[in-house]
Amino acid sequence: MNEIFKCALLTLLMSVSSLAISQEDSLRTNEDNLQPAEEIKLSNYYTLLSAGLTHPLFRDFATSPLFYDGLGINLNASWLRRAENRERIFMIDFGISGHAARVPKSDFIQPGAMAIFGTFSLFYQQLWKLEVLSNSKNNTKIGGAVVLTQHVRANPSLQNNTMGLENFSNLMATVQWTRDVSRTQTKQLNLWLIKPVFKPVKRDLRILFNLGVLNFNYRPGYAYTYDSEIQGMETSPVTWAFSNYKWSLNGYRFRTQVEYVKYLPNGNARSWSYLWESAHAPGKHEPFQMASHRIQYTIYFHTKKR
Amino acid sequence: MRYLYIILAIFFFSSCEKILFKKDRGSVDPIENFDYLWEEVDKKYSYFELKNVDWNQVRATYRPLLSENSSEEELFNVMASMLNELRDDHTNLITPFNVSKYNVSLNGPKNYRVRTIDEFYIPNAWQTGAFKHDFLHNGEVGYIRYASFMSNFSNSQMNLILERYKDTKGIILDLRENGGGSIFNVPALLGRFVEGKTHVGYSITRNGPNHNDFSEREDFYITPSSGIKYTKPVIVLIDRGSYSATTLFALAAKALPQMTLVGDATGGGGGLPNGGQLPNGWTYRFSVSQILDLQGNNYAEEGVPADIEVAFDWSDLTKDEILDRAIEEITN
Repeated sequence: MNEIFKCALLTLLMSVSSLAISQEDSLRTNEDNLQPAEEIKLSNYYTLLSAGLTHPLFRDFATSPLFYDGLGINLNASWLRRAENRERIFMIDFGISGHAARVPKSDFIQPGAMAIFGTFSLFYQQLWKLEVLSNSKNNTKIGGAVVLTQHVRANPSLQNNTMGLENFSNLMATVQWTRDVSRTQTKQLNLWLIKPVFKPVKRDLRILFNLGVLNFNYRPGYAYTYDSEIQGMETSPVTWAFSNYKWSLNGYRFRTQVEYVKYLPNGNARSWSYLWESAHAPGKHEPFQMASHRIQYTIYFHTKKR
Repeated sequence: MRYLYIILAIFFFSSCEKILFKKDRGSVDPIENFDYLWEEVDKKYSYFELKNVDWNQVRATYRPLLSENSSEEELFNVMASMLNELRDDHTNLITPFNVSKYNVSLNGPKNYRVRTIDEFYIPNAWQTGAFKHDFLHNGEVGYIRYASFMSNFSNSQMNLILERYKDTKGIILDLRENGGGSIFNVPALLGRFVEGKTHVGYSITRNGPNHNDFSEREDFYITPSSGIKYTKPVIVLIDRGSYSATTLFALAAKALPQMTLVGDATGGGGGLPNGGQLPNGWTYRFSVSQILDLQGNNYAEEGVPADIEVAFDWSDLTKDEILDRAIEEITN
């Protein structure tokens, strides 16, 4: 437990330290701000399309003590309304990955097990500007997010426990720091024969941190496998599969994102992000744990401004 | 400086779960793997009391046979012997080099010879999907062989078969040496032989650490199929090789008055097996539930008894005495 506190504390300290450094920098570049004062009050609407390469891992103690490492892809679509003082985003995310059990080395015949891991998430977040930690170069927002995630796992080596299903539903506290790292003046490099010219461009560096405040998870019953009530052929496989599942309010969930956004003259933008997420769901009987690391490319389509 | 913080943050987050999660429990240590399997069975196996198995005694017997230097083959042999104390074919240890099995069918005589049926009873049989079938006894009896509940079948296939035998006096459904399969094929098949929703039994599942901790009873109903039905007498042939889903079928058949079980008791296997993995990557399964008849009796794990006991006589391979007895039951 101490390690969890240390981890959270370190995260917080690093966020605050970054803010302090960036405030110092902002004094130097304040006069170079690209946005006219009247414009920053407007809301920009974006539709975001993202694709990411992800490295997830999970462990379900109900069926195996082993970690399953994986590699997969994530695709998501988001609708973002962003203004200086407030922003909100709704995101639909789908991911699929292939996993191999982290099996210790055998000196006889090496066993192995493969799993497919699918995730489907809905994410809604609303943030408000924190004036005390904001200035012309730095924008700090706080708020909350609701995240609903359903996992579907298939691991044939587990026979009647091949299918693994769990749901995470979290209310999360959110801190977001956005640093304006725009190039405000034309810059020319002198590389002997080549002298590239870089025009002014608007760029943002954004760090987002979500911490689960209310962490619900939906996990199987004691035996994990059930032959629940059977009503002939009218038995719904979904009802049957979930009949002994229970909701629990326990565990934790973290989510972080570091994003570098580069805007185009037409208002559109593109970004590269690194996302890390970790969740622990003790459930009522045996815990489930997962983490994922993702490199993501996003295109922002600027749809309107008002 | 700010970029340094960002880089540090990335490295920090990329390894943070190692701090948050418990240590990696992967291990090839024989004692650790033995203890893990023993504990999983202790927590969830469903037939300790019914089979009068002293699981602590089993641990005391087998654990001293292992040391940290035991080979994987030795570990397999010890853990397989431990699991076989449960006398349960739904209990297996699965490794890349061997699979443990109790072989319950070897506890009784063999009562089915496929060549006798094919050569002397149904030489021109139809094969419709999972079913081999034909007329017997001058067209008075329909014979249907269903070799495995693993094999699915369509409504149209079942309609074709029951339409073909609609004018017979009765049907023989041969489930000998049917080792089970999908539980959903049980109501799919039985639904062809009932006219109304019929309660046929219960299941109960381990739900706590004590060996007698079980959930409330879950009902098992058969509902009539919307397709062609057959409501004349049905003789179900069973033997010790009729296991798992076939035992469930036989238990349900006991609750249906037009069905008669002929042959030997089934092999058992009424409990639903789970699935899991050990710290060394091997996998296992064992029963976590029980099935009960309408009176709440639990005999299915030891085998559902036949209503009419008949044995195959291996001195004359041109005749199937069990099938002959079934034909007699329908035609007389």
